[in-house]
Amino acid sequence: MTARRPWWKTALGVVFTALMLFPVYWMVNVSFTKTADLRVSPPHLFPVDPTLDGYAEVLRQQLPNLGTSLLIGLGTVALTVVIAAPAAYAIALLNLRGGRTLNFVLLVAQMIPGVVMAMGFYAIYVRLGMLNSVWGLILADSTVAVPFGVLLFTAFMSGLPRELLQAAKIDGANAWRTFTSVVMPLSRNSAITVALFAFLWAWSDFVFASTLARNSALKPVTLGIYSYIGNNTTQWNAIMATAVVASIPAAILLVVAQRYVAAGVTAGAVKD
Amino acid sequence: MLSTKLRKPLALAVTVVALGALAGCSSSGDAGSTDAAGGTYTWWDPYPQHEEGSDWAKRVQACGTDAGVTIERTAYDTTSLTNQALLAAQEGTSPDVILLDNPAVSTLADTGMLTTTDELGLDTSKVDANLLAAGELDSKDYGVPVGANTLALYYNADILAAAGVDPAGITSWASLTDALSKVTAAGKKGITFAGINTEEGSFQFLPWFWGAGADLTKLDSPEAVSALTLWTDWVNKGYAPQSVIGNSQNTSWEEFITGDFAFAENGTWQVNSAAEQPFKTGVIELPAVDSGVAPAPTGGEFITAPVQKDTARYETTKKIVDCMTTPEGFVETANTFAYYIPPTSDGQDQLLEQHPDLDTWVSAVKAAKGRTSDNLGTNYPLISEQLWTAVQSSLSGASSPKDALAAAQKAAASATEGK
Amino acid sequence: MTINAAPAVRPAPDPTPAAPPPRRAKSGGTGGSRWVAVAFAAPLLAYLLAFYAYPLIRSIDLSIHDYNVRAFVQGNAEFVGLKNYIDVISSSLFGQAAWNTVVFVFGSLIFQYVLGLALAVFFRGNFRLSGILRALFLVPWLLPLIVSGSAWAWMLNSDNGIVNSFLQAFGIGQINWLTSPDTSMIAVIIANIWLGIPFNLVILYSGLQNISADLYEAAALDGAGPWRQFWSITFPLLRPVSAITLLLGLVYTLKVVDIIWIMTSGGPANSTTTLAIWSYREAFGTGQPDLSPAAAVGNILIVIALIFGFIYLRMQRRQEQS
Repeated sequence: MTARRPWWKTALGVVFTALMLFPVYWMVNVSFTKTADLRVSPPHLFPVDPTLDGYAEVLRQQLPNLGTSLLIGLGTVALTVVIAAPAAYAIALLNLRGGRTLNFVLLVAQMIPGVVMAMGFYAIYVRLGMLNSVWGLILADSTVAVPFGVLLFTAFMSGLPRELLQAAKIDGANAWRTFTSVVMPLSRNSAITVALFAFLWAWSDFVFASTLARNSALKPVTLGIYSYIGNNTTQWNAIMATAVVASIPAAILLVVAQRYVAAGVTAGAVKD
Repeated sequence: MLSTKLRKPLALAVTVVALGALAGCSSSGDAGSTDAAGGTYTWWDPYPQHEEGSDWAKRVQACGTDAGVTIERTAYDTTSLTNQALLAAQEGTSPDVILLDNPAVSTLADTGMLTTTDELGLDTSKVDANLLAAGELDSKDYGVPVGANTLALYYNADILAAAGVDPAGITSWASLTDALSKVTAAGKKGITFAGINTEEGSFQFLPWFWGAGADLTKLDSPEAVSALTLWTDWVNKGYAPQSVIGNSQNTSWEEFITGDFAFAENGTWQVNSAAEQPFKTGVIELPAVDSGVAPAPTGGEFITAPVQKDTARYETTKKIVDCMTTPEGFVETANTFAYYIPPTSDGQDQLLEQHPDLDTWVSAVKAAKGRTSDNLGTNYPLISEQLWTAVQSSLSGASSPKDALAAAQKAAASATEGK
Repeated sequence: MTINAAPAVRPAPDPTPAAPPPRRAKSGGTGGSRWVAVAFAAPLLAYLLAFYAYPLIRSIDLSIHDYNVRAFVQGNAEFVGLKNYIDVISSSLFGQAAWNTVVFVFGSLIFQYVLGLALAVFFRGNFRLSGILRALFLVPWLLPLIVSGSAWAWMLNSDNGIVNSFLQAFGIGQINWLTSPDTSMIAVIIANIWLGIPFNLVILYSGLQNISADLYEAAALDGAGPWRQFWSITFPLLRPVSAITLLLGLVYTLKVVDIIWIMTSGGPANSTTTLAIWSYREAFGTGQPDLSPAAAVGNILIVIALIFGFIYLRMQRRQEQS
């Protein structure tokens, strides 16, 4: 295969990425800026008189929150996949009656504004005693990802070659066996895509955390940020420093996962 | 047998679920326990920046211990607190004590979820009337202010000196505008304030509104128009930057501490920050239109006690509130919150002994007015919304001050009719 | 048999949301009876009922009663039927909010889609660093909205924002991005486009992966240039993926509140007040929560999204029949 890797594409790619990430750069810039220099005009392209105060605060206070956010993120991923994948299997491959309607209902489910959901959940959680718990938050965050996950999985699974499934049936596998040994491994890429979105949505969630888990012993980092927002004063460099520190591990996770989303579909499972 | 690809995520899921369950079990519960003595009392306040282990948190715990109970404190940001309180009240799980921003007190009181000070047996006779009035609805008081802050005019002494302006001479709008023109002529920036379309914007506009002699029940009076014209002219002439339209008080202060601005309208809470600046700062009271001091709105929270099903709890709640509201208590709060002025004269005297330089602020607070006073109560938020909309409209050039306020009055009148 | 043979017959298998399974695949069952299918879908069904039905019902309940603050707490709201809806629609703000919503949604969608597609096509040929760069494009999604919203608000500040500084270096005068009613909508749309590009990029890119390289080679052999290849191969084959991307994008953009709220709070002078912002402001943005009108506006939004959902279904059905 000819080496089609023109360097200019890489250069252009870097330029585009740099443009896209400029606001993120600005965030890093602010995290090092003294409060007195925040509104200086004209603005400094980089922190001329840097301060590490923001980071000092973060390292002092926010690290446990990062751990909680990670826990919630991974939990949401697990829960989303566990609920969405089997359901998609049923709709796509087991011909669930009313599968089409279900797909539509899922679309509608995504139309409900987050705030409305949070208020509804508050009432449920109060009665079930689930307020201020990590598990409750995982459940709430997954409501954002599950409909999307089902849609994604369904679309993918409905495109799987029927021969594979027939082959499994001939081998004597029942539905569950087929699901775990054939369908899920093939759906690895869509699983990772769903996991990616679920993680990102859960990681950056504020509305649910604020309404349902304010007084939890374990707070996600989005709530932790609010300890820098006082009644009338805000410590912006600390907030931005928190965001920077929170983004690094998650960004690494992204780079690693992206490799899986990239690859093609059935990856040669069916030979001509 | 599970494929390897599935085994890992499943194992992960199980671990996460187990951890989550553990976390769920060990996290703190919510509403207070059933026995009144030696139990847990819940406390909500809008100070998330004062975490566990801060002076404020320790003080709250100390008051609880004095009353024989442990206090479980949750801090919300001010904007969420009112709504959380309503949600909790609806479910019957209100906390025992809430510190509420003073304009929200009448709204919550109106729903019947707060106890009156009489019910709790609190003595409010020593509290300054102008400060107590903010929490008064239909002649009943629903809480005690923990302190009040208000607005005044900070100035950059270095810039004023260079431009030949004497801050003591700023006693009217005309002299202020004159000072601004001198300062901008000398190459510096004039004044910064917060005109954002939230309650903060109304808060900052009110000293000018009231200073002109206008009244919140009549937003389109000539006095009101003159106040809005003052601000609009400043922006149009470049005495105030365009950013005031989107500034919160915090942002406005950030602009002031760059050292480029001569004046900033801001509050007591920035006193320490002002002292830390490399340039010399001072503070004067906001001028009224012709002479005298403009009444500024009161900021600061009220300590309130929501209604509980178990009324036996009120006895301990009263002890907690009393502990927070002694003159020494007020001074401690003042120092923690840099600087809430105590709402009683005893408290104010004690504070001045410690910080004599706060006398401008004490005087400003004595001249201040509650936003929900004059029995505006629950009408205030509706009027305020129209007021800040009109301010934005005018400052951004979308309409003239007169038209903006006329539209505001119309909307406010229809929103508040029959209430 | 692979996907090469007849690209026009059926969309190639793709790991992205497309049409629900066509009817003719009925016989492809894996030996599961109807109940097995239900068993697999049961967790989802229970989940939907518990977590979506309840808030939706509550929202409808809020909108057909008069929940002033007192009634909210005491639970004795008066039933008013459709009065809240009528009030909201006949309010002077409705026209402006509806128009702002249209501008915001379509402005964002078009650019998000076009830029996402362009970037997806750009990244299609794997070049050096393409994987890492593509991953970095998702970083904006890691950030809580308060952080990204604030970063944009600063960059677009009229007096001390970097964007204006940059423009001034080119001789363009000060643009009051967020404080002038003329440009505020453009400013929030730009920020929203920025937020939406990663989503479009990822999904469209996955869709592109499923178009076999052989098709492109065949076309190149026939002498088609890249532009022609795009319009004859890429775009048509991407249609189902594009459709679902646009539909989901529409649903998500209709709901957007945070980014606008942080940047302009719906102002100045209601120039960036969309229906979602209006609903949010009524419920949480003033000192007097007005939950019933807020719920009414929120439900109207859901209805609008539903209408587009139906349009999408209709398109799907028509495509399957062709």
